[in-house]
Amino acid sequence: MNRKKKGLIPPGLVYLADNIISKQNILGASKKQGAKWAKDLDLPQRAETIFFAGCGYQYTSDLEALMSLIRRMDKSAIGAELPMRIAGFQKKLSTDLTGIYRKVTSKGGDSEIQPLRAAVKVLSNLGVKFGYLADDEPCCGAPLYYTGLQREFAQNAQEMYKKLKSIGVKRIISIVPYCTHALRNLFPLCVDGYDLEVKHFSEVVLENISSRELRFPKEVKVTYHDPCQLARYLELIEEPRKILKAIKGIELVETEWTKGEWATCCGGGGGFEVVFPELSQILATNRVKELVETGAQIIVTHCPGCIMQLKDGLKELKADGVEVLDLAQIVAIAMEA
Amino acid sequence: MSVFADYKKELMEAAHNDRIRLALSRAIKSYRANIDNALKKFPHTVKMAEEVKEIKEKAIGQMEKLTQQACEAIEENKGKAHIAKTADDAVGIITSLVGRGKLIVKGKSMTSEEIDLREHLEEQGNEVYETDLGEFIIQKLGSRPMHISSPAIHVPREDVAKLFSKIIGEELSPDIEAMVAAARELLREKFFQADIGLSGANVVAADTGTLFLIENEGNIRLTTSAPPVHIALVGMDKLVPTLGDAYKVAEVTWRYANYTVPSYVSLVSGPSKTGDIEKVITYGAHGPKEFHVILMDAGRTELAKHPILRQALYCLRCGGCLYECPVFAVTAGHFGDKYFTGIGAAWAAKISRDMEKAASLAYTCLTCGRCKVRCPVKIDVPEMIIELRKLIAEGD
Repeated sequence: MNRKKKGLIPPGLVYLADNIISKQNILGASKKQGAKWAKDLDLPQRAETIFFAGCGYQYTSDLEALMSLIRRMDKSAIGAELPMRIAGFQKKLSTDLTGIYRKVTSKGGDSEIQPLRAAVKVLSNLGVKFGYLADDEPCCGAPLYYTGLQREFAQNAQEMYKKLKSIGVKRIISIVPYCTHALRNLFPLCVDGYDLEVKHFSEVVLENISSRELRFPKEVKVTYHDPCQLARYLELIEEPRKILKAIKGIELVETEWTKGEWATCCGGGGGFEVVFPELSQILATNRVKELVETGAQIIVTHCPGCIMQLKDGLKELKADGVEVLDLAQIVAIAMEA
Repeated sequence: MSVFADYKKELMEAAHNDRIRLALSRAIKSYRANIDNALKKFPHTVKMAEEVKEIKEKAIGQMEKLTQQACEAIEENKGKAHIAKTADDAVGIITSLVGRGKLIVKGKSMTSEEIDLREHLEEQGNEVYETDLGEFIIQKLGSRPMHISSPAIHVPREDVAKLFSKIIGEELSPDIEAMVAAARELLREKFFQADIGLSGANVVAADTGTLFLIENEGNIRLTTSAPPVHIALVGMDKLVPTLGDAYKVAEVTWRYANYTVPSYVSLVSGPSKTGDIEKVITYGAHGPKEFHVILMDAGRTELAKHPILRQALYCLRCGGCLYECPVFAVTAGHFGDKYFTGIGAAWAAKISRDMEKAASLAYTCLTCGRCKVRCPVKIDVPEMIIELRKLIAEGD
């Protein structure tokens, strides 16, 4: 990206954008690392229908580590801008930043593994046939779009489409709401003759789930947090709820006002979290307060960004006995029982 | 420090201010209950809002024509119409109409805030009283409005009591009724002593030159009728073709501002007059003898040319979206400039022409889109924000 463009864009967003352009993922990490969650799953790497895992889930633990670091910086006198600028600079010297974050925060977790592995298990269990591009999976570039780098986004979309076509992809089952909206609604605006069929994970599950007996191992009260992109951009409001209601043992308890199209954002929208790390945490805590008031023991959502935010909010709120799970995890558990 | 750094510092101070959060959480709760009730009682509002969206879309495309038409109508009604190309022009026209050393009572107007009218008038040695309770609190606090229709939304009752105690010089309990009575007592005589009444307008009918003023307190009625001169400052975006259109805009505005019906809607088209003695028309009966309307462009016709950002001009200023913004819920109008949140960002870019401020606001928007769900005219704030970020990134 040229210097002029960077002028008024907050450094955190410039950092993410540079990573996408140079490394095809928001963290600038290696693609191998992103794909390691599926190593032992034996998914075909070439197929007409592919499962699109997305950066958010594939790099969850790195993102959690990064956020925790910049939140601490943002609360300190240093602020988040300087480290984000330095991060961008260090990357040019090819320093392994994600490695540094991991060391700094001593996090090496496997939180990304769970929702993705659960999703694959659910789809396979339902008899859906699909492949996974693994370290060939390109980045949809959505953060470029939300940063304002529309030209770069369009170029990325065109290249990605060409690549997917060249390896025979016809259909995409996408799980990250941001990626899904980009692949389904934004790509057609910048790719001539775009003809990939894009379905969201929840739609595929709902289509195939009707004959299944689903039971959660214990009786639980569950509330659902609508990710903004899923509810207000993709209008997938009923699908996740129908899936939850199909699971015996789950009682869906909802917030009185802030649900569906009225759901409150978790505070992690469109790159906001890297520009206002601390404020974003305040918003996450506010949202968790609304959700916990339902009396639910489990907060279910369906977006890697929301999961990260809500977990952080729970921690801030010190709400014991409540956990955050992805919809894919809930369904996988219910299939096992 | 950069504009962004200053802004972020202010925003974070607000976010850590538990008084703001307390006041807003109370306000949001009551807004949601009220609008729910208002829309249940008058379910036709939703359909009417769709009609209003069409009216506004069309009107914004022909603001200049409507301005001409409104001027002719106002002159025909024996009022004086003025066109202000820029904010400076508007300030110039009004300060020269007002002169110096006058007592002025003023109704709440975001358009006057846009051009810092009160400050300009005070600099000229005039005494200006904000008569809207919220705006009065803001004026006395030396603060700026934090919401379109409820400017003191970020101030909890306990803080108002402290402020009023200081003004009247006796201890006042945080009893809302007592505080309202204190403000009434303080301002009552000003309405009748004032040389000039200043107001804005919620919507203006171009065919008859009629201003619609929506309120609950009665301060606008007094401001626009007690003093001998009434001056109204109106943005050209407030113009719609007909009286019928204007009524629809007004009803939708107050409904989404959470009222079933406001206590008062004043329709003002000209100066006060009588022909009761020998049919000789004489001006200045019980109301103002002089009536001036300043129709201000100040970037609006330019903004109207932008295919996406022009949506900012459809805004009815009902303030509904603000109650739905998660960032606003903890920062109030600090997430804003002349106007607030996403619409404020478009405004900063195209009307105030402050790209640094606009960028700060544009990157504060979550693009979560809940404001759009609330908006009666379905202004697509995320779409405007992303367009704005594109202009910023491409260095427009």
